[in-house]
Amino acid sequence: MAPLLELEGVSKAFGGLRVIDNLDLTVGEKEIVSLIGPNGAGKTTVFNLITGVYRVDKGEITLGGDNLVGLSPHRITRRGVARTFQTLRLFLNMSVKENVMAAAYGHTRAGVVRSILRTPGQRREEREIERLAQERLAFFGERLMGYRWNQPAYSLSYANRRRLEIARATATSPRILLLDEPAAGMNPAETAEITQLIAKLRGDGDYAILVIEHDMHVVEGISDRVVALDHGVKIAEGSFDEVATNPRVLEAYLGLRAKEST
Amino acid sequence: MADPPTRPQIGADEWVARSAERSAAGRARTWAEQTPAPIRYGALAVVVTLIALVPVMTSDEYILRVGVVSLIYALLALGLNVSVGLAGLLDLGYVAFYGFGAYGYALLSSSKFGVHWSLWETLPLVLGTSILVGFLLALPSRRLVGDYLAIVTLFFGQIFYTIAVQGYRVPLITFHGTHDITGGPNGIADVDDFRVFGHHLTTNRAYFWFSLIAVVVVFTAIHFLNESRTGRAWRAHRDDPLATELMGMPINWLKLLAIAVGASVGALAGTINAASLHGAFPDDYSTPVLITIYAMVILGGAGSLLGVVLGALTVNILLEVLRTPDHARWILYIAIVVALLAKVRPWRKLAAVLAGTLAFGIAVHAIVAAAWPRGVHGLVSISGTDFSNGGWFGWALRHWLVLPAHTYEEGQYTWFNVALVALIGLVLVLTMVRGWVRWALLVPTLWLAALVWETRLVEEGTGPTRFLLLGAILVVLMAARPQGFLGTHRVEIV
Amino acid sequence: MGGIHVLAGFDAFTLTWHYFFSQLVAGLTLGSLYALLALGYSMVYGILKLLNFAHGEVFMIGSYIGYFVLTALGGATSPNVSIPILLLLMFGAAMVGSGLLGVAIERFAYRPLRHASRIAPLISALGVSFFLQQLATLLFGSVPKQYNTFSLHNGSLFNRITIGAFEIQYMQLFVIVAAVVLMLALTQLVARTKVGRAMRATSFDLEAASMMGIDIDRVIVFTFFVGSALAGAGGVMNGLIFQNVNPYIGFNAGLKAFTAAVIGGIGSIKGAMWGGLTIGVAQAFATGYLSSAYQDVIVFAVLVVVMLVRPTGLFGTPALQKV
Repeated sequence: MAPLLELEGVSKAFGGLRVIDNLDLTVGEKEIVSLIGPNGAGKTTVFNLITGVYRVDKGEITLGGDNLVGLSPHRITRRGVARTFQTLRLFLNMSVKENVMAAAYGHTRAGVVRSILRTPGQRREEREIERLAQERLAFFGERLMGYRWNQPAYSLSYANRRRLEIARATATSPRILLLDEPAAGMNPAETAEITQLIAKLRGDGDYAILVIEHDMHVVEGISDRVVALDHGVKIAEGSFDEVATNPRVLEAYLGLRAKEST
Repeated sequence: MADPPTRPQIGADEWVARSAERSAAGRARTWAEQTPAPIRYGALAVVVTLIALVPVMTSDEYILRVGVVSLIYALLALGLNVSVGLAGLLDLGYVAFYGFGAYGYALLSSSKFGVHWSLWETLPLVLGTSILVGFLLALPSRRLVGDYLAIVTLFFGQIFYTIAVQGYRVPLITFHGTHDITGGPNGIADVDDFRVFGHHLTTNRAYFWFSLIAVVVVFTAIHFLNESRTGRAWRAHRDDPLATELMGMPINWLKLLAIAVGASVGALAGTINAASLHGAFPDDYSTPVLITIYAMVILGGAGSLLGVVLGALTVNILLEVLRTPDHARWILYIAIVVALLAKVRPWRKLAAVLAGTLAFGIAVHAIVAAAWPRGVHGLVSISGTDFSNGGWFGWALRHWLVLPAHTYEEGQYTWFNVALVALIGLVLVLTMVRGWVRWALLVPTLWLAALVWETRLVEEGTGPTRFLLLGAILVVLMAARPQGFLGTHRVEIV
Repeated sequence: MGGIHVLAGFDAFTLTWHYFFSQLVAGLTLGSLYALLALGYSMVYGILKLLNFAHGEVFMIGSYIGYFVLTALGGATSPNVSIPILLLLMFGAAMVGSGLLGVAIERFAYRPLRHASRIAPLISALGVSFFLQQLATLLFGSVPKQYNTFSLHNGSLFNRITIGAFEIQYMQLFVIVAAVVLMLALTQLVARTKVGRAMRATSFDLEAASMMGIDIDRVIVFTFFVGSALAGAGGVMNGLIFQNVNPYIGFNAGLKAFTAAVIGGIGSIKGAMWGGLTIGVAQAFATGYLSSAYQDVIVFAVLVVVMLVRPTGLFGTPALQKV
């Protein structure tokens, strides 16, 4: 499987605090990799480094061979990296439909003049964008369709907001999706649904997916590979079974047993 | 996994999602959204046609002039709305673009330098340069968060004003003495009329129609822009700049664009203003004007195109009414009644407050009249010049308020100052207390407000009063109804 | 200050050290004033992330309070008390009055908006600033009131100390020293006292501080009081330097102090001090060597350069966004 996203020797420090230390990470084409680790391990920081929100101190990040370090976030997104957020960041005052349509900006071209004059080309592009948004939202069944289209995003329930954020991310026509805790705050039924959905995402969209998740049921259900992080350092990598039984991983999550620590 | 519910159930998604439709405000909005586009546009067209007929139905120069000014302000509000309302950028130097357009046109079409270009030559040049200036202003700010942009733009507006006022002694151009470029505090006079298709636009009526066309064109253009990918990107930026950038939208460019578009509209308004006034004067492009435009945008509803136009018309009419004390005085009483009607329930409480205020005033008047007769010998100026007339309303005011003799003489403001300070103190206390004390204190507060209004504010309608009102509008709106007339109630994550 | 000549011109007089030092001292004096104002801005921004546009008007009111105290005590030509007592009373009254005004503004205009959008308090601040300016015009008139401090004690306040080419007036020395004393006091307050610790905690993370048992309402009120009191002191200094006061000085001074706070790094006390001095000196040199008409343009240019080169200011820390 050809590697799509590659991190090599990536390090990041905030002042004296080493948040990420010499991290190597690869995600192959159409592969689903889960990133796990206790809170504060640096998982979301990895996402921020990949998407350009933070600048790496050392190391390389490439997508399909092209360097991503130093590019501004919107350029990185256009290269094919899309993400969702741990704390949702929807455009709350825009409608469901417009949230997704907005994300299609990077692959469209109508400029100010053409938009004002409503040229045939611009109108054709608008119809395309609307069709794309409809398609992306239809992925989640009837939940975000129909009358929901024109509702403001703040009227959606929590689970629907998470789904909308994923739909919005896919509207950027990415090659890899970074999902930050997609199942957070969901009940078991919704969690099961999300697990199926992520697998379906990979199949339908040919995306590679890098997932941060705490719920081990989800991780077990979707992952081709699991990477465990603790204090910014990779402590284990492999299949779910291998990583879940790895003693260093157990120690990171659960701590040492009393008699083993002496 | 359970099947989705076949009927709306309390607690399930659909019922919650449709709650907006069930509220009265929601019904109104969805009604407006549900009327098919042709009908909505048709209604707008009818309104525009009616407005266009105004110069046909009247030849009162005053009304026509007010119309021209209102339309110019509508343009300004539309332009500011692009950066503040659509993109969420606080551009506090906007008035500089307005002035830039005016002075640009004045320099190219007046006897100042003997250059007399026609409109077709000046307009593109002025608009183009204003867009450039907008870009230049936004460039150092592009890496800045909103607050920093506010400072830089505020300063920029101040700089423009300084340059306009000081520009009559500019050194260094020929290294030989100074040059008069902007005319200094007196501005540039004798500016040409617009010359369009061979016609000179000389009358208020002509400028009225020109401005109306400009407003319609700009409104349509911005509306189309708002519905396009650029508009979506702007509105996304208003909601969450970081998420916007991470969804592939270049926010630096979008910010530049928003400011530049606003700049060009402001400059257009400036050229119209300069031509219709036949002059470019720096005080027309100073900070008080900026506050006025902001009051219009906020009152109308930042983000709503129709709203800001309405806001512009409302504020401008308000300012016009303030010019004549006899008309202006009603503003306070209408405002009080409306505010009470909106906020005080049930009816008995409302009646009690109004009755109490009347009784309070009469009582105080009676006491003062008995103890110190000269204290109530002051007069209410109703007809403007003859202080003794005033009809029944004047009589009522004279016996309800306490107006000492010489109330209206210049410099005799002690009574007014005391009342004003007392009023401010009472208002502050009002915000801090609750319950029946609040209602009890409301009575003297209303009486004092009327007193302060009648003894001086009414007379200074073109001076501090108008600016007090504008400042108050901004503060009160933000606390009570940030979305103004037609803005949508927004959910913000702070 | 507006001269007939646009350019001061580079002649034999202006190219002397004497002239240089006199401009420098004038700049440091003015800069002390701006530093005091900038401190108030920085403190409020640090805690509430709010640019308090009304701060300039608090400064203006402080200046008027100083004037009224001066007049009440007999005026500049025949004061009833000795100069030190006079200055003490003026400063005291102005600081207390301005402090209370700042508290009232926070209570009335900003507190209802604490959970609104980022832009709402800014617009409200703009409205308050304008409102106060016009209120002052109504109450005091737009004709400037004369401090006339030149006449104090037969002008002794303006006697100079001369050391070679270096010359400084008593008044300038007083202003600089007073500002330094106030700033030192503030630094100690923030670093050593319990309330200072609370202020620092609140400026780091308002929510967390409130959850740790800090009464953030009181901290905010206290911050506004202290910041506004400093502005009031600045107002009296303004009267001493420029000898008069009118309702419109607040806007311009506020703008400059803003710029100073931003240049130094908003939220940083040290930054506010250095930013103020920088702006003051820049303005003085611009006036002295170029033209007083364009002093604002020079200050603006400094702002733009700093924004381009170091957007977070000289001492500011880059704000980390938690994503």
